[in-house]
Amino acid sequence: MPNLKEVIISITNRCNLRCRMCDIPCGEIDELPTSRWKDVIKDACRLGAQTVVFSGGEPLLREDIYELIFFTKENGLSACVTSNGVLIDDRVAGRLYDSGVNVVNVSVEGTKGTHDFLRGEGGFDKAIAALKELKKHKIESTVASTVSKYNYADLPYLLKLAGDNGATTVRLQPFNVIFLRDLRRRKEFLISKAEIAEVKESLRNFIELSQKHKISTNPLNYLYKIPEYLSGKEFFMQQCGALWYSCPINPNGDVFPCWVEAKNRLVGNVGEQSLYGIWLSKKRLKIIKNIMKKGCKGCLMSCYDEAFGEGYSGARVFGKIKKIKRFTDGKKIINKVRQFLKGAVIRFRLRYKFYSSYGGSWQVILKRKLCGMFGKVASGRKRIQDKSADFSSEIACLKKKIEREIHLL
Amino acid sequence: MQESKELIDYFRDFEVNLAYYFSEKLNRLLAKPRWIFISLSHQCTYNCQMCGVVNILKDYQISTQEVKKVFDEISGWDWDFTVVITGGEPFLRRDVFEIFRYAKEKGIRVEAVSNGALIDQSMAEKIISSGLSNIAVSLDGAKEGTHDLIRENGAFRKATQAIKNLSDAKKKSGSGPQVSVWTTIMKENIGELFDIIGLSRKLGVECLVYHPVIVAHEDMQNTSPNARFWPGENDIERLTEQVCRILDYQKKNGFIAFLHNPFFWVKHFRGELTREEWKCNPFVFVNIGPDGEVRSCGASFGNMKNMSLGECLNTKEAFRSRRVMKGCLKPCLQTCWANPDADSLIGIVNSLIRQIRNSQADKITKKKILSMALAKLVFYEEMSQKCQT
Repeated sequence: MPNLKEVIISITNRCNLRCRMCDIPCGEIDELPTSRWKDVIKDACRLGAQTVVFSGGEPLLREDIYELIFFTKENGLSACVTSNGVLIDDRVAGRLYDSGVNVVNVSVEGTKGTHDFLRGEGGFDKAIAALKELKKHKIESTVASTVSKYNYADLPYLLKLAGDNGATTVRLQPFNVIFLRDLRRRKEFLISKAEIAEVKESLRNFIELSQKHKISTNPLNYLYKIPEYLSGKEFFMQQCGALWYSCPINPNGDVFPCWVEAKNRLVGNVGEQSLYGIWLSKKRLKIIKNIMKKGCKGCLMSCYDEAFGEGYSGARVFGKIKKIKRFTDGKKIINKVRQFLKGAVIRFRLRYKFYSSYGGSWQVILKRKLCGMFGKVASGRKRIQDKSADFSSEIACLKKKIEREIHLL
Repeated sequence: MQESKELIDYFRDFEVNLAYYFSEKLNRLLAKPRWIFISLSHQCTYNCQMCGVVNILKDYQISTQEVKKVFDEISGWDWDFTVVITGGEPFLRRDVFEIFRYAKEKGIRVEAVSNGALIDQSMAEKIISSGLSNIAVSLDGAKEGTHDLIRENGAFRKATQAIKNLSDAKKKSGSGPQVSVWTTIMKENIGELFDIIGLSRKLGVECLVYHPVIVAHEDMQNTSPNARFWPGENDIERLTEQVCRILDYQKKNGFIAFLHNPFFWVKHFRGELTREEWKCNPFVFVNIGPDGEVRSCGASFGNMKNMSLGECLNTKEAFRSRRVMKGCLKPCLQTCWANPDADSLIGIVNSLIRQIRNSQADKITKKKILSMALAKLVFYEEMSQKCQT
């Protein structure tokens, strides 16, 4: 089974904006306490994950978000926050910097008029201010935008805006129906067939400008699919990496195979079980395989663009260069090696079976012999030494306890 | 006087627990086993579906002389232990009563496990007067259909009749072994676990023990979650409900003996029991097979025919096997798993201190016991340091 790459935690359902394209009820779900989330992050680390994404709702509404980011970084994972930027002022940006966050996504939908129409009055100015604050505090920021009928014309403008405000990436994601409870409103955001050409034109400008401003975007063939998708066509992705690599978690700890396939497909709850157990459970595998077999409805959520990018050779080369760039950082190499070793140990433990000597075929006997050897390696002298060092201090403490008891008598 | 005797008992418990604890941690033989299982032969009257033991070591039988040799040896041990006679079906052996009698002469506490197929009235009377300390009969369902499905047609009637015979015989003679029921928890009988209490009460049973199923194919550890008797997710929910009811009953009436927290069963079937919760101490039990091989759970320690039991416990293979057992990833929660509270050092010491505080003995004995405990701790401290270097 492939390793976990990315944990997407929707840490709260509360939100300070009421956007037009999203009518998920605010704050109706219980939230897990900090300690549980820390366990989840620890488990994610054990499972070899690389990134934890805190999204929401508005994640900055949770007081412990900085603590959780700090904890994530401490465990050697990269942390990413998705925010609407309303709350990011000088103080919050400072705290984010202290917590060591890697990337902050700020949602901007287009020009001031469009943004304020979609997300509420005054949202645009606050988002731009947030981008500026992040730039001031030297935190990497990206601009995220939901492409729909209302804002497709503003896409080139977004690039200019990102370049002016120090964002490194513009991430587009076409409007998705999962954010709507009232499905009748779906048509409001989709485009007609006549508009496809206009969207294509806008995207062409967008891609040209991105090269000019040196701002990275989603993989190109992902972008090329947006117009058709927005016109209502459904995509059948056969090899969607998201099911295998990413792990979406709800505020109340529910783990789903994927956001789109969330309905009636609960894999487990991290409030009750460990993420480690859930991720490696047979139930999850069964659900995923089921989805793969049936095929999903298809979507263009941003978690998929990695899979799309793979088909496009240019993007692949670009990705490789990016990877090499990443590898030149010494700390990251060590992290990678550590994660690889961790994964190897986990796999080894899973495969390791414990055989007894009740008579059996030669395979059983051979396996038993090998296990005997592994047993020797697994609990060698070093580990025993470490433990005995442990209980010398424990014994000293207990000795004092008994002495005190004698004195009390 | 009685109080100081009580204190000495507490200290003895403390000593034993420390011995088990440090045996496991330092991998040294500091303690003798608490449970000695002797499997007389693998022949059985039934061929139950969850048990493959009949097919293993078919032609082997441990001889009466060998069993007596073991008894001779262990009766000299200065240690509190129990011998459990199992099989197959131990009552298929004609010499089983001779073995019981010999153990009685030597003053060894012996228990036996049976499926009840052969226990008629005369046999029951013989068992009651044989000097056993406990006789356990397996009962896997409260309804005839369930038990018979798992075992064989007619098995339920025979088992209940056997239990009844035993309890009647015990009533008649006034004293004798404790009559108990062992129930295997599996998919088929999960709904009836609580009902078994009522049934066994009616039959005059004194103690009830539950243990989860092992699906043995070629070896004992190879319990497979895909096996037929393994409960599914729905069954596990029902199990949780049953456990709550059983716990309620146990709090009010006793009767059920738990070897560990019953919620471990739920965790066990879900595959969530962690290594920290589940402490199977390989020094606590030892099993002698019909071929004379001595083992705790994993590989053989040595053969009874070549050396004494004490020597078997101390061979190189024994330590290697125990080390492998420490890395065992499959909790089984069987009856041999029962551990003598030797989970943590702090727990062991705290329980002694608590008992001393509560006891009515005079200060001088209390002080004496405490200083003895201190000396014991210092002894183990030195030993652990020696092991380091």
